[in-house]
Amino acid sequence: MKPKTPEFGRFAEPSLLILVSLSDGPKHGYAIMQDVEQGTGRPMGAGTLYAALARLEEQGFIEPMQAVDRRRPYRLTAVGASNLADQLRGLSEYAQQGLRQLRQNQS
Amino acid sequence: MKALLIRLYPARWRARYGDEFAAILEERPLGPFDVADILLGALDAQLRLRGIGADTQKGTGFSMSLRLGGAAAILGAILFPAGFALSSVSASDDPFPGFALLLAGTVTLLVGLIGLSAFQARQHPRLIWTAFAIPALGTVMSIVGLVGMGVVGDRPLLAGLSPWAIWILGVFATVVGSTLFALATYRTRTFPRFAAGTLAIGSGVLLGVFLVGASGVIAGVDPMVPVLVLAGLVAFSVGWIALGWTAIRLDQPAIATA
Repeated sequence: MKPKTPEFGRFAEPSLLILVSLSDGPKHGYAIMQDVEQGTGRPMGAGTLYAALARLEEQGFIEPMQAVDRRRPYRLTAVGASNLADQLRGLSEYAQQGLRQLRQNQS
Repeated sequence: MKALLIRLYPARWRARYGDEFAAILEERPLGPFDVADILLGALDAQLRLRGIGADTQKGTGFSMSLRLGGAAAILGAILFPAGFALSSVSASDDPFPGFALLLAGTVTLLVGLIGLSAFQARQHPRLIWTAFAIPALGTVMSIVGLVGMGVVGDRPLLAGLSPWAIWILGVFATVVGSTLFALATYRTRTFPRFAAGTLAIGSGVLLGVFLVGASGVIAGVDPMVPVLVLAGLVAFSVGWIALGWTAIRLDQPAIATA
């Protein structure tokens, strides 16, 4: 499977998790962290979150909104939504392929 | 400490993200995992803004992830008892290989503790910081003791304590830290309670033997002591390995199963 965001390096997976979280609507950083932790059962530190957010913003995948009490929400852009859909389709196809291979090997 | 951590980021980064980042850090208590994560984030920001860029870094790079913490916990769980056994067996011969192995195990377990403490620190920040600080201090004491043994031998080194006494106190600081970490993990249920409970029992037995031995209640070498030490070491090791293994499995890419 060809990675869709190779330039993100080790922040590719956190970036994808952030995009998935924002697909539900705008969220500020802390809400994203909570969402990711609840969804994956794995911690996301503030350092990782902001390293990924900075890359996503730079790529135009997300955009900042007006800050409220120092909390700045982010939202998915059209480019970000399209990229997320591409990545999820790729992952889904890859997962389907894996399941097919498993079934073939088990039968 | 939070202000200091933010100051580690480049000024340009702080101008853009500083306020919201500070707000996030105020939302919940920070544990050793979070601090390590922020230090790496600051390093990443410094490199990126200097054009050196960490963009091409792979997941195998230096990162305080669950995977690294899990691997360190497993490695430490092997090195620590191995060093303990070797230094006990060869005490009258050349104890340094065993001591060095034990020190390596102490440092590795400290890395493991940092990597695995993210969730526990959300609920029990003081307990986790204490669990980190005691073995961190113990590691320094172990290094001082080890160097002292080579320099002054058996003569008192600090506060009337011999290098060996400083060394052994440092080693048991790791056991104390492991006990506290096990308690926090057991209470938060982040990892299987069996693993945390086994670690707590192993550490508790080792501490008990150490305290009883240090108090002089047991005269001479009680035949039960080696048995208890062995049982404690096995439980200590099994507990850390189970925690490390669970962490590595937990860190399998969650999105790959989507």
